[in-house]
Amino acid sequence: MDKFRITSGLRRRILVVEDELINREILGNILSPVYETAFAENGQEAWQLLHDEGDGFSLVLLDLIMPLMDGFELLKKIKNDDALKSIPVIVMTSEKEAEVQCIRNGAVDFIKKPYDMPEVILARCERTIELYEDKSIIRSVERDSLTGLYSKDMFFEYVKRIDSYNMSPSMDAIVLDIEHFRLINEMFGRKEGDKLLSFTAELIRSEYEGTAAIACRAEGDTFFIYCEHSDVSIDIAMAVQTKLASVSDEKKVKLRIGIYENVDKNIDAETRFDRAKLACDRIRGDYSKSFACYSDELHQRSIYQERLISDIDKGIAREEFQVFFQPKYDISGDVPRMKSAEALIRWFHPELGRVSPGDFIPLFENNGLITRLDNYVWNKVAACIREWKDRYGISIPVSVNVSRVDIYDPSFEDKLMTLLRDNSLSTEDILLEITESAYSENAKKLIEVTTSLRKRGFKIEMDDFGAGYSSLHMLTELPIDVIKMDMKFVQNLEKDEKSVRLIELIMDIARFLQVPVVAEGVENEGQLSRLKALGCTIIQGFYFSKPVPADEFIALCEKRS
Amino acid sequence: MLTIEKLKEYGADTDEGLKRCMGNEALYLRLAAMADQQPEFQELESLIKDNDLKSAFHAAHSLKGVFGNLAITPLYDRLCEITELLRSETPADYESLVIDIMKFKDKYSSICQ
Repeated sequence: MDKFRITSGLRRRILVVEDELINREILGNILSPVYETAFAENGQEAWQLLHDEGDGFSLVLLDLIMPLMDGFELLKKIKNDDALKSIPVIVMTSEKEAEVQCIRNGAVDFIKKPYDMPEVILARCERTIELYEDKSIIRSVERDSLTGLYSKDMFFEYVKRIDSYNMSPSMDAIVLDIEHFRLINEMFGRKEGDKLLSFTAELIRSEYEGTAAIACRAEGDTFFIYCEHSDVSIDIAMAVQTKLASVSDEKKVKLRIGIYENVDKNIDAETRFDRAKLACDRIRGDYSKSFACYSDELHQRSIYQERLISDIDKGIAREEFQVFFQPKYDISGDVPRMKSAEALIRWFHPELGRVSPGDFIPLFENNGLITRLDNYVWNKVAACIREWKDRYGISIPVSVNVSRVDIYDPSFEDKLMTLLRDNSLSTEDILLEITESAYSENAKKLIEVTTSLRKRGFKIEMDDFGAGYSSLHMLTELPIDVIKMDMKFVQNLEKDEKSVRLIELIMDIARFLQVPVVAEGVENEGQLSRLKALGCTIIQGFYFSKPVPADEFIALCEKRS
Repeated sequence: MLTIEKLKEYGADTDEGLKRCMGNEALYLRLAAMADQQPEFQELESLIKDNDLKSAFHAAHSLKGVFGNLAITPLYDRLCEITELLRSETPADYESLVIDIMKFKDKYSSICQ
């Protein structure tokens, strides 16, 4: 194996410190076929050389009794010097007492005097250099340079060792993740982001001090902790969370904690942390929960999600996805009149059956796959509108959802324009629903895209208004044509006066902006009449119709006409 | 001129000395001849005369190292003896010891001619 060390072709440099010329010549003759050799006649000369060439030396062979500065003094100086202390020193001596003193002062090995046989000297030099080089490589890869915690690879090595040495106690795998770290980096700069990571690491170190635990920075803003299971494992992690939150007011740092308790040691270490990470990711964006534990249910859910992810393309190709339409009615007149519709996607999976949109839409929104579905829906909707015009002479605008990720797609606008052109439609035919949470993610980009879309003639509907973290400021900045009130307001309308007040406020805002309000999720006559009284003019919900397939929808349209 | 045979005859363990020189006979003989010129012999003589045992130890120690490595046993053995006595500052008849060493040194010089 040694033969294959990639550095074996390099000639290492050895410094021989010896006052007698004859001895230097003997050593030089032994070492020079293998090593570059430099000589010093005493400690002072050696100290100078070491300072001039620093870590250029792989090893120092040191005589002890020399004039000007002896070997003992030089050894001490080397080991007290930060730049030089990593150079190994082999002492050449025949006295046992001196050996003890030198070991204490950091000598790594000894060469006897009179000298050992050349083979022995060469072997000792070679092994010492190898050992120190390996040690320095290990040291450099063992730790994460930013935080000083273990690097991920080393961490998993130590996890394996802990398991093999320590069979009895049960262990916990804990994952800590800084919520929205990317945003912190963007808003406060990378330097501040790095500071935050270092500080988090420091807290982990201090809180876990004295407990049986090891920690690493696994990647970016994710930390792994492997610790002995106890009643307080979670408390310690939460102490890190609390302290971090308390010192980072301005940045509003939140640490997400995922725990896989009493790990199953039959599964590999990486998978244990995948499980803790799964729990950790489960509470992403949920500010009401500070930690989550891994459970079998969570595991099943993740398997289910993996299945959905792997089946999406097949599903699109086999047309397992169907577009349903839910009509929106204008109730401003005496008789409600169908005004437009919203396209909604449904997935009829051949094996899993009907997959709830609540299961696959947030999932695909998170991993970006939603763009494929959105594109699919847009195409289907455009084709339907064309068909209805041609076959039934019916022109009804349909709103389609535009996800946050679509906004970042550089070809987004071109795609929409091509769609209209290919189906000979206009911007009047397709309405765009953008969820308000897209604003909090990247307001500038969203404003830029919506402004451009409106210039082209598209109508923009703000979806789920009031559900997330929308600000009134957003409404002044973001050009929109319709507000779609979040359906929770409607659901609570009859039980909660606060919801009524909030709907009144939304209506005021809409009047101020001179845009209509769509109420979603309207299920009964009572809700309808309250909304009408509050000034809401467009209604969508089961009261009029549930979302239906295209053929049923066209039947509704025909009934209308 | 110094030869391996002369060294052997003198009592040196030339096999060991040569091994330490990686079998390089020319180097071994050159270094063995150089050893005859070590100034520490005269230093040792005068330091013992002056009773400067500490400095005398350094001189003896240096010589011991050189003759040990060259495996020139008769001188090496005597240098070992005096070095250890001087190291522990044991009272001894150092002058006689030096006279004895110089006798062997003179003999060594003669084979180096």
